[in-house]
Amino acid sequence: MSTAKRLLIVDDDPDFVDGIRAILEGAGYAVDAAFNPRDGFDALQSRPYDLLLLDILMGRGAEGVMFARKMRKDARLREVPVLIITGLREQIAFLFPGEPLHPHLVPVDELLEKPVEPQLLLEKVAALLSASERRKAAGA
Amino acid sequence: MARSLSFTGEIANLLYAAQPNPVQACIQCGTCSASCPVAGFMDHSPRQLIAMIRAGQREAVLRSNTFWTCASCYLCTVRCPAGIDIAYLMYGLKRYTIWRNRHAPGLIGPAFSRAFMRMIVRTGRSWEPALAPAYLGRRGWRGVIDEMRVAGALFLRGRLPLRPRWIRRRRALREMLRHIIPVGGPA
Repeated sequence: MSTAKRLLIVDDDPDFVDGIRAILEGAGYAVDAAFNPRDGFDALQSRPYDLLLLDILMGRGAEGVMFARKMRKDARLREVPVLIITGLREQIAFLFPGEPLHPHLVPVDELLEKPVEPQLLLEKVAALLSASERRKAAGA
Repeated sequence: MARSLSFTGEIANLLYAAQPNPVQACIQCGTCSASCPVAGFMDHSPRQLIAMIRAGQREAVLRSNTFWTCASCYLCTVRCPAGIDIAYLMYGLKRYTIWRNRHAPGLIGPAFSRAFMRMIVRTGRSWEPALAPAYLGRRGWRGVIDEMRVAGALFLRGRLPLRPRWIRRRRALREMLRHIIPVGGPA
């Protein structure tokens, strides 16, 4: 049985998904992708994932935020680490110049801004996965 | 789970919550184009644009001024025999091109959209005398005279305030927006 960590990407930009998937699969992760929030949530409920990579601007607007808040209400899903990857600063955050973007949409998350530097992506993914392992071990 | 997504699928996904989906349910009857009051200013009629999306003509769709020309009157949506919200599709395409910086250069819409949003976040209200001047010269002197005439008529009827107005409790509006988008320190 494969022991590769299984990751889910929820992002509506297929070109971006292809790039991120290539980086993660190259590092030995098993990667699934969903291109809209509804399919993403269905996927998340259909099987366990070790980590979610989540876009913010999808569908009608900042649906990634709603997605994360929906996860926070689910006792099982709120334990899944989330890496938010967003181009929000360029698209919306110009309305709040000089103010930082923050994650904190679910109890365990991190935020990366597009465009993503591959090495930084792999470091963040590894850090979130090992923190999740430690939490599980401590809770067991 | 699908590994990749066609352009048609991408646009359908952008409108995934719409029932029926504007892209898949179209029967190409042309009622939308015949009803559209600004179709004459569009590179492609709404019907043509939907056909282009379904044919996967990505670059031609993104270059089109059609969705930026849409006046959001919703007549196409009201008259569509397939019950498709075509105006919603136009909004979806605006978002798509803005989010990916893929809109045609030189369009008023994207820059105006940002200027408008900035004003709303700052004051909570739209104030035309600040928004309009940047676009006055685009149709030459005749355009300027037309606009001045409209502005004069609006002013005489008390519909064009000369001083900016803003809502009370603007800070509350900003806090509300910060709650919606993750910006400005920890939530």
